[in-house]
Amino acid sequence: MSLQIEGLCWGHSQPGGSWRQLFKDFKLECPPAQFLVLIGSNGSGKSTLLNLIAGSLTLQAGSLRLNSRPLQHLKDYRRARWIGRVMQNPLDGTAPGLTIAENLRLAESRRRSPFRWQGLLGIRPNKLDVLRFQELLESLEVPLADRINTPVGQLSGGQRQTISLVMATLAEPELLLLDEHTAALDPKAEARVMQLTERLVRQLRTTTLMVTHSLEQALNHGDRLLMLHEGSVRGDWSGAEKADLSHTNLRELYGSAKVS
Amino acid sequence: MFSIWLGAYNQGLAYAGLALGVYLTLRVLNFADITVDGSFALGGGMAAVLITNGLNPALALLAAVLSGALAGCVTALIHTRLGVNDLFAGILTSTGLYSITLRLMGRSNIPLINLDLGLDPLPDMGSGGDGDWAIALSLVVIGLVGLLALLLATDLGLALRALGNNPTMARANAVSGAAGLTLGIAIANGFVALAGALVAYYQGFADVTMGFGSLILGLGAVIVGESVCRPRSIPMALFAVVIGSILFRFMIALALQVGLEPVDLKLVTALLLLAALALGRLRLPGLANAGKRL
Repeated sequence: MSLQIEGLCWGHSQPGGSWRQLFKDFKLECPPAQFLVLIGSNGSGKSTLLNLIAGSLTLQAGSLRLNSRPLQHLKDYRRARWIGRVMQNPLDGTAPGLTIAENLRLAESRRRSPFRWQGLLGIRPNKLDVLRFQELLESLEVPLADRINTPVGQLSGGQRQTISLVMATLAEPELLLLDEHTAALDPKAEARVMQLTERLVRQLRTTTLMVTHSLEQALNHGDRLLMLHEGSVRGDWSGAEKADLSHTNLRELYGSAKVS
Repeated sequence: MFSIWLGAYNQGLAYAGLALGVYLTLRVLNFADITVDGSFALGGGMAAVLITNGLNPALALLAAVLSGALAGCVTALIHTRLGVNDLFAGILTSTGLYSITLRLMGRSNIPLINLDLGLDPLPDMGSGGDGDWAIALSLVVIGLVGLLALLLATDLGLALRALGNNPTMARANAVSGAAGLTLGIAIANGFVALAGALVAYYQGFADVTMGFGSLILGLGAVIVGESVCRPRSIPMALFAVVIGSILFRFMIALALQVGLEPVDLKLVTALLLLAALALGRLRLPGLANAGKRL
């Protein structure tokens, strides 16, 4: 298994002081190269699960393994060596004052800590790096190659999210976490980012977890669909089962999840 | 008359390390670091004590840099390990440093008269010692700018800039916030302590109170330099900061020329900075961009 979560427990105190145990003995396994889509109503634990995997939140019990490497005791920035992440807010994923090339270089070098003496060797990104990044963007049909030295802060939300996505897939990640990464985009930009997502995930064969609220995306993308409700799995479809799902099925399930 | 401006030029250069340090913490790391008030005096005091005890002035400078870097590490550790707010962490360290510097110096003021800095071999510019100083300080500051520009252009520098620009993004790209801040603040305070030592050398004494208002002085240099030069790259921004430091000294020299007394200097400094900030905010043509982050 590529991603292996066992006995995961996590809860939080609510306003008023009561405790809400969201995940209780939660279990999830993803085989290598699986593209898993997570859906569920607000508060079902989708984003929390991604935050627990990335290390932004700390597991209260259980184990978390990525390609049999235990992750739960590592800080978020250590896990980032193997985990690429695209967040919901386009402002979170890139450094606005750094150019596209500088952002890409930072992502590319994340397998090794910059705080070693080797981090002082050479001016980066150098001309070769910039050319390489331009070729990469061109090969991915991202029309930003000519703006490689533009600060990312000058790009639109959709363009920034595109750069975030390319960054997350650099440095050969073993796991890709996409947290509603198209939620803040207009329909056109959403379509473009989803097309690029599909292409990168298939090309790199990276195990991927994508959280979304869009039933369209849930039906059209991914190998497996997981519906979460109150921290537990309400539905798990893959292969032909997933192909047979329709809007109506999903909306009904969403509805029943909300009332129960 | 010329000697006043040459003196101001030299002072601007001696204080340039302070401005570069403030640029590194405030503009690159986005960390308001008040440690500089303490580490500036610490650098001056450390160098003065070592020189009066017979150490080579160059080695004394090195020791001053290391002491400043250590002070920076303390602030960074207070901030990153104990979660103390950046301003409070800096105030804590600089308050403590006042006593440490005083203990180190043994008294509040150490004169550095008849100091042999080895400047004699430099060509005489016909303006006495200040000419030699101008050459020596220019070379030192060019070296400092080059060093910092190179550092910021490496992978390590990229990580520091990303950290100041967007900490969330930096962490998601395997940059440790604690390590980055500690390293950056230590380097910045090393620069500041070096400036403290150079100022002590230049003015001929070290005083335990010489650090008061350092952050404001450094900030003034950064803002004036950015407003006037409008830099578009990091190396240009570093040079702009040095130019700002010199211009700031020119403005103070001008204030003294028109009859203000030295007692009023801190007030003049504060008002000059206020004017620079206001002009940046008003975005007057030619003086806009002061709030721009690189």
